[in-house]
Amino acid sequence: MTHKNADFTLQEMMAVAAAREIRDGEKVVVGTGLPLLAAFLAQKTYAPNIITLYESGAYDCKPLATPSSVVDSVLVPGSAMAGGLVEGLGSVHAGDIDVGFLGGAQIDKYGNLNTHVIGDYYAPKVRFPGSGGSNDIGSGCKRTIVMMLHQKQRFPERVDFNTTPGFFNGGKEREKYGFLGGGPSVVISTMGILRFDAETKEMYLASYHPGVTIEQIKENTGWDLKIAEDVHETERPDPELLRILRDECDPGGIFLKKE
Amino acid sequence: MKVSKVMTAKEAVAKFIDDGATVMVGGFFHSISYVFTHEIIRQKKKGLTVCAASFNEHVDQLIGAGCVDRMDTSYVGVEVFGACDCFRRAVEKGLPHKIEIEEYTNFAMMARFLAGALGIPYIPINSMKGSDLLKYTAWMGDHKAKLMLDPFGSGFEHVLVPALQPDIGYFHVQRADEEGNCQMWGILGDAPWSERACKKVIVSCEEIVTREDIGRDPNRTILPGYKVAAVVHAPFGAHPKHCQGCYDVDRPFISKYIKGSKTVEGWKKFMDEWVYGVSDRAEYLKKYVDTFGMQKFLDLKARDISSSSVNYGF
Repeated sequence: MTHKNADFTLQEMMAVAAAREIRDGEKVVVGTGLPLLAAFLAQKTYAPNIITLYESGAYDCKPLATPSSVVDSVLVPGSAMAGGLVEGLGSVHAGDIDVGFLGGAQIDKYGNLNTHVIGDYYAPKVRFPGSGGSNDIGSGCKRTIVMMLHQKQRFPERVDFNTTPGFFNGGKEREKYGFLGGGPSVVISTMGILRFDAETKEMYLASYHPGVTIEQIKENTGWDLKIAEDVHETERPDPELLRILRDECDPGGIFLKKE
Repeated sequence: MKVSKVMTAKEAVAKFIDDGATVMVGGFFHSISYVFTHEIIRQKKKGLTVCAASFNEHVDQLIGAGCVDRMDTSYVGVEVFGACDCFRRAVEKGLPHKIEIEEYTNFAMMARFLAGALGIPYIPINSMKGSDLLKYTAWMGDHKAKLMLDPFGSGFEHVLVPALQPDIGYFHVQRADEEGNCQMWGILGDAPWSERACKKVIVSCEEIVTREDIGRDPNRTILPGYKVAAVVHAPFGAHPKHCQGCYDVDRPFISKYIKGSKTVEGWKKFMDEWVYGVSDRAEYLKKYVDTFGMQKFLDLKARDISSSSVNYGF
């Protein structure tokens, strides 16, 4: 995933871009991998007052080392509360949490996510892990940040299985369900940053990562992707942010691949 | 008169896990009872319906061993560390046989356990609305979930999910007494509701303590003894998973399983070595030390970060 003429990887670009989506003071439900690093990075830089919680039940965690999963023992000492799923995901379910992270095997034009199957549900070509907390996070968080590998088969016009609804078929369709959560606000892919039109709820390209072209992104998207009028290159990660990300957020290289 | 429920894992599994039973497998990735999981595999239990909010690679071993016919869950995977390949082979290719999956969300499963624990038939939730989880069902058919207009007038439909009361559950805790009063700390995950929902529970623990020890910190008790049918003393019983304050997760060992299980042959090799090839947990631990060395084993041990105590006085 590295690319030419840059001193950072796309994975690092994604972590930094995701960190920028978090505002100070927010309550953030964190998952494993890049979302965890993004939340850490935000907390160590410009959003020191965020509260991180994990669906497993750990709340306001101050881990002394990078947790390798959402149930890592390192999350517990120093946390403000260590409950279980009913407490952790319960806060999400109740609509109390500002931001959640999602990912998946497929995302479509209207931000619906699939973490179940490719192909027919009862006779799948490929089987994925299922919802876990994804549907709960997508239903309950005020907004979600989706992180995706940008490939054509992962960005189809319509997902094979709608695990975690985004905006269904667009427009006001989501509103009729009375979700406490607002749905996806941004998709941070390996190629760019995509957002949703305020009216139609269709995904569009807001910025392309350094070293990636708009043409490449369109080729890797399964529908005729609309491009923002003010489309631009994604702001490059500041060297100091990169240093903090590498040396402080993931010094052991648990999630950031060394390239 | 109170009778000791202490027995071996062999006895507990033989006595309380019946072929065809609905078995709740406790532990949300932390403190999973591998001691019971491996014993169920060695005793070749069949036709189980296994249920849990979410499953990691431990259920993959049960599936590969042919113990599982049905799964009632929201997730089968190992987060960002890989896939459960026996699960995939079962679903994609019917190996070693087809399994059925009744799928919910993580919270929906907890809500079902909560309803089961409280003795109410169903519970309304905000999740699953509009998703394909409502379209596709397995053996439960239209009893998987129902939509109901809020009778109190919000104007929105809610998803009703049915209570789950498994025949038997098993889990692992830091300490329990001989009557089965269980104390756990750290990440509670699906505890205590998934255990409380079960008709009966068998528990493995790092330490068996006295009833007086339990009474010194009763707020730490997550499951009352009356629910518990068997107590098994099993230090390192959650390995390769972690147990707060006792030992850390053994990520390289889990990776060894994940890598091995990519093929049926590799899976068999791992299982022959670490499950079928040992008779119980003590032999497993001896083999671990013989294979990786005492230092590697000691490296897993948790450092001491003890809590302050509280005053229970009156």
